[in-house]
Amino acid sequence: MNSSPRNWLLAVSEMIYQRLLFAYPKAHRNAYGADMAQLFRDQSRDAWNESRNWGLVKLWLRVLPDLVRTSVIERWSNFNPRKTMADKIFGLMRAPSPLSTFFAVAIAVFLLTLGTSIAITFILPETYASTTRIKVEPDMEPPANGYPRGTSIDPYFIQTTVEIMGSEVVLKNVIDSLGLNEKWGKKFNNGGALQTGETLLMLRKSMQLTPVRNTKLLAITVYNEDPQEAAQIANAVADSYREYRLKSLTEQARQGFTLLQQHYQQEAAEIGQIEARLNSLREQLKIGNQISANPSPQELAYWDEMGGLAQILDMHRLLSLKIEKEKVDAEIPKSSMVQVVDPAEPGRTPVKPNKPLNILIGIVGGGTLGMIVGEIAMLVSLRFRKGNGHRLTPA
Amino acid sequence: MLPLTPAVFHVLLALAGGERHGYAIMQEVAESTGGRIKMGPGTLYGTVKRLLEAQLIEESDERPDPSLDDERRRYYRLTGVGEEVARAESRRYAAIVKIATGKKLIGEPA
Repeated sequence: MNSSPRNWLLAVSEMIYQRLLFAYPKAHRNAYGADMAQLFRDQSRDAWNESRNWGLVKLWLRVLPDLVRTSVIERWSNFNPRKTMADKIFGLMRAPSPLSTFFAVAIAVFLLTLGTSIAITFILPETYASTTRIKVEPDMEPPANGYPRGTSIDPYFIQTTVEIMGSEVVLKNVIDSLGLNEKWGKKFNNGGALQTGETLLMLRKSMQLTPVRNTKLLAITVYNEDPQEAAQIANAVADSYREYRLKSLTEQARQGFTLLQQHYQQEAAEIGQIEARLNSLREQLKIGNQISANPSPQELAYWDEMGGLAQILDMHRLLSLKIEKEKVDAEIPKSSMVQVVDPAEPGRTPVKPNKPLNILIGIVGGGTLGMIVGEIAMLVSLRFRKGNGHRLTPA
Repeated sequence: MLPLTPAVFHVLLALAGGERHGYAIMQEVAESTGGRIKMGPGTLYGTVKRLLEAQLIEESDERPDPSLDDERRRYYRLTGVGEEVARAESRRYAAIVKIATGKKLIGEPA
């Protein structure tokens, strides 16, 4: 299967090789450049199939010295065209002194650069990455007039979530629960505990929050020298954010519930007053359980008001049911608002430094630098020999 | 003309088995030496260039199996002189092997 890292690495590797072909004389490049690039492509494919990144590194370790040596030979043969057929095949076995200078300098520079890049690569501390992926749902809107309005579409929801997750509200819990002030103090503060503000800054730097495109998922990636700690922190950030959301939602539900209760009590008081007034009127007018055959205007007004009271009582009962529902809802945990889809696991291999890439850069950079410095050294040597009256052609 | 450089001799030996393009020559050399010699593009095409100049090999227009091959690749084959040179160098190596065997430096060839 063609994966993007393969395509990317092979494409970059081939592009670099094609650029390096400029080390050869133009005539040689025109005649064999395309064939050489094709052969390098075939070899890269074989190397990748054999052992991926390391295969490419090994190929470059083989190809680069070959490129340096043969490009100098081709340039030299351009400079000194051979006369006999035997010379065409064997003449290059006798390297003239300037070529020796070139090889010595180029190889020294190459080895020095490569050695430095390898040393730096292995001295740099290894960093592991762990990622937790969570699914986040937007908040429910608070109830209006006692009735919820459902979910809303907030274009800034993910951006807001990312900001909240990186805020002190969420991260302070992580610092406290994992004891990071003390742990990191031992590592970075000569054993003394760090201030929460300092730990917070370090934690933010070690975290990366990335929304997964076209989904409700968020990836929390933590980089740390300790793979276990990286996974613990990533999971703790997810847990802390979930707690924050649950707390916030519970608080919101409680506020809504309180408002409904206040409204209910106010309504109950009003109903009590109306009932008292109607009872008094009923006694005054001696009204029975049913409307009389010839009701007076006062009695008609009484029965009208009784009808209104019945409607208010129906609404009051509905409100009572609504309060009961809200009460039950408030007790149900809203854990589905934040779900951990993939908990973080400790990384098995370090993500930094990228050893094959660094070594590849060392090889390519060292080879190129070696060729440039070697060529300069060879030109200086030639000029010196010319100045001293030596022959420029091989013996 | 003898002795040949190892690169030149290996390319001639690879082409003694029939015409081949650059990648096939490289593979043939790697296989016949048990992976000890893996020619880089620079060495291979530098050698090819010299062998073409010395008329020990030539480009071939024929394709062994057009359906399996890429037209853009250039095929090479031995010339008569190239074949003679390869034979002579092989005989020289054989004589050296005989001497080394006689001195019991190596065992009898299989």
